[in-house]
Amino acid sequence: MWLVTPISITKIAVFNSMIHQDELATAAPAGCLNDSTADDFTAAEADVRRGLPAQEEQSKANYSSPVSAWHRDVLGHNACRILETIAMRIFMLSWEYPPRIIGGLARHAEGLSKALASLGHEVHVVTLDFPGAPYEEAEAPLYVHRVAVDLPAPTFHTWVLLFNHFFEKRVGQLAKKYGSPDIVHVHDWLTVPAGVASKHLMRVPLVMTFHSMESLRSSSSRSPESAMVGGLEWWGSYEAAKVIAVSEWMKLEVVSQFKVPPSKVAEIPNAVDMAKFEKTVDVEATRMKWNVQPGEKLITAVGRLTSQKGFDYLIRALAGVQKSIPDSKLLVVGDGYMRGELEALAKSEGVAARTTFTGFLNEGDLVDAIKSSDMLAVPSRFEPFGIIALEAMAAGVPVVVSRVGGLAEIVEDDVDGLVMDPNSPHSIAKATIRLLSDRALASRLAARAKEKVKAYTWEHSAAKTLEVYEAAIGEARYE
Amino acid sequence: MSELPKRILSSLMVMGAQSPDRAMSIDDLADKLGMGRNAVVSGLKSLIDAGYAKLIGESGTSAVYLTATGIITASSSYS
Repeated sequence: MWLVTPISITKIAVFNSMIHQDELATAAPAGCLNDSTADDFTAAEADVRRGLPAQEEQSKANYSSPVSAWHRDVLGHNACRILETIAMRIFMLSWEYPPRIIGGLARHAEGLSKALASLGHEVHVVTLDFPGAPYEEAEAPLYVHRVAVDLPAPTFHTWVLLFNHFFEKRVGQLAKKYGSPDIVHVHDWLTVPAGVASKHLMRVPLVMTFHSMESLRSSSSRSPESAMVGGLEWWGSYEAAKVIAVSEWMKLEVVSQFKVPPSKVAEIPNAVDMAKFEKTVDVEATRMKWNVQPGEKLITAVGRLTSQKGFDYLIRALAGVQKSIPDSKLLVVGDGYMRGELEALAKSEGVAARTTFTGFLNEGDLVDAIKSSDMLAVPSRFEPFGIIALEAMAAGVPVVVSRVGGLAEIVEDDVDGLVMDPNSPHSIAKATIRLLSDRALASRLAARAKEKVKAYTWEHSAAKTLEVYEAAIGEARYE
Repeated sequence: MSELPKRILSSLMVMGAQSPDRAMSIDDLADKLGMGRNAVVSGLKSLIDAGYAKLIGESGTSAVYLTATGIITASSSYS
């Protein structure tokens, strides 16, 4: 453990701003170790991934400190000495991390990891591989380690258990190379087995973040698979020294379903990278790309095409919207098992010609699409947080959201967005018509939303998460 | 998505067919799924048309793997 003084870790950011320029030129002290063998490790990893023996020379001898060459170069001698006493090494286990973006969890893992690293902490993200993504990314003190699952599994749920074993192996390799972490942080049930194993093998505190819950996703399902997922969620909440929920609503669900003491659960909201939405977008060109003619009103919805997202209600609502605003169009961004069903629904509702399904968009195209929209609809049946609403608010696009879960905590009705009844095409249509036909209202809501969303920064989330880590270190038990 | 393509999509992911070098032969896929080759080919067609899967190799020895979009779609029940 690196936390040898009671200095709050969150003070690193303040400390960074106090460093004198002359310190930046100070030669590297012996106490500030380097990470010069990172490239060797990358090469070795290719062998490891294919099942060849790990190179024994990859010892942790040079990696006993989370303070790296990066810190030395940027902070200088004195700052480096202090940082060595307070910087943490964090193993972040997440099944998705960009460019593998299934949903909000990937954006969360990326935003949080980058913000923690920017505060000087050494963050190792262990995640699944993805076509085109490198197996190793090193931008010290942030490292991304992508794991291939080289064995076949019979079902999705057994595959999840299987990839957790590959995660465990990777965690072991990283601990040997860099030293044991101060914290292992898992996200949702998907990485709970590897997190629990890591906790007990290395005797380091486990922190678990709940982004969603199986009981919400599969409220009517009593399948063995669903029971397993629910069981893993409970196990994670039990084994974790501290639990994080992404909204107050999510916290209440965790506390009530798993009987977790409220004091063990911290509510830390998701955040948004404002800079991503400050870019200039050629709105006309983007709209033309999606066949939106000048003067037409563009409603955009973004997310996985699953029942949870409620896009079926939105498509049904579009028929009603068309009666008042015939030049409105709907852009559905995302993909998923329900795509065919939603396309068929658009046809049967008579709005297929006014609806475009884009499939998945890369991050640049997604920002373009959002910024080129007249409004963003989030018609979810349930939503533990709803990070896409924050992103639209950051982009200056007015939002209409369901009164569910975290969405209802983010958006205040008639103040910084419109809130509609969930599961109601009528309510969606009513709010949409109101927003699209009142430009002054749309401008007012968007302006207030953009101001509000400034509080949702990853730096803020990271600072709150560090407080949770500190508490977890103090309270961890390994029975 | 109907059940057959959904099952094939999920199977390709959990069996590791996620890149051209890890593509799975259609015969092997049919064997793993316990289904006839023709049924698998029929289910695969909609996945390929949707951009979720790609076919490589000559007819008779062809193999299939998931595209990036296919992997994300196969994982889309959770996030």
